[in-house]
Amino acid sequence: MSDWTSEQISTDVVNLLQNFPGREYPEEVTADTRFFGDLGFRSIDAVVLGEMLEKHFGGSLPFHELLADVTASGEQDLRVGQIVAFLERHLIADNSAAPQGS
Amino acid sequence: MPHVELDGLKVYYQQSGRGPDVVLLHGFTSNLAMWLFSGIVPTLATRFRVTTYDLRGHGASDVPPTGYTSRDMAGDLARLADALDLGPAFMVGHSFGGVVATHLAQLEPQRVAGIILCDSYFPGLAELEPEMERVEVWQGLAEVLDEAGLDVGQRVDFARLLTAVACLTPEQRSIIETRLGPPAVRWLAQLAPLAATSAAHDTFEPAGLTAEQIASLKMPVVALYDEHSPFQATCSFLAENLADCTVDFVPGAKHLALLESPAEFVARVAKHLDAFAARTATPPCAPSQVQERAASHRN
Repeated sequence: MSDWTSEQISTDVVNLLQNFPGREYPEEVTADTRFFGDLGFRSIDAVVLGEMLEKHFGGSLPFHELLADVTASGEQDLRVGQIVAFLERHLIADNSAAPQGS
Repeated sequence: MPHVELDGLKVYYQQSGRGPDVVLLHGFTSNLAMWLFSGIVPTLATRFRVTTYDLRGHGASDVPPTGYTSRDMAGDLARLADALDLGPAFMVGHSFGGVVATHLAQLEPQRVAGIILCDSYFPGLAELEPEMERVEVWQGLAEVLDEAGLDVGQRVDFARLLTAVACLTPEQRSIIETRLGPPAVRWLAQLAPLAATSAAHDTFEPAGLTAEQIASLKMPVVALYDEHSPFQATCSFLAENLADCTVDFVPGAKHLALLESPAEFVARVAKHLDAFAARTATPPCAPSQVQERAASHRN
């Protein structure tokens, strides 16, 4: 499916967040940075982020499942590390699970 | 996010799944993201075509200066249904979203196959809820905002709230988040555009949706109210006056069941939508019977 590495995913997610339309976040974005609490995003921005990730990384990503997990977990916020882990799960795991040969 | 132009108004929506149409309508000051956080869309999309959208003035949709009554919003919904070629739809409306769905059902009943009203307060039933202006959920919010140096008063006053939170400082955000959690912050962070509109006033206008008209609804309705809802009298009115009303409660919730009891909320909505679909499905009918009926009709 793709040749993404964990490092690339992590770097690209940080770049996407730091260049999010209409947002400025002067501090460093790390795995612990929170999407709403630290970056100051509105709830609708989560929908936009989901679409940006699909466009950037390609394919259909069940981002809504990640948002539902956030609510169910009780933490109620989304850490950058969770976004990266979600992408690793769907981009890298899919790659390794792809049928070999024909 | 896809959008449609409805008479010049840009409205953003999302759609997924296949099956009978279901439209999810968020409440006043919310947006379609609330449905994603509850996990309801993928659950329903296995058997329904689920449409969510941002009401005018909300989320990513355009923010016109006026036109925020339930009647205006019902007009938008009708135009959206045309633009997306929706069939008669099951409407799930949270709070004011339920009022919009009901208003459309009253104006154009052929568009609405059934309604699930989720803890809705109706301006047309205001006299049933004399304590509405002092609801607990507002008191709690006002107390925390006061700590952050923002005075929104002790009575529900959205115009005041919208103005007060238009420019939150990082310190104020931090206080609000510590006391009320991240969902409150991301909710308040998006209200600024509404402050410059007539929305805070319009949302409390009956706009023609009277108690008699609400009571005259003929399609199936589920009154899905929160266990600790501030609007119990409204729920009772619906149960006693509507022709076809089922009452259900979401345990543990106070008004925001999607956040307060998401799993219980989603399970109940799915159950009631399945019941709607089962009731409106065409009864099984073998081809030979159809032919026989057609023949007898001709005779």
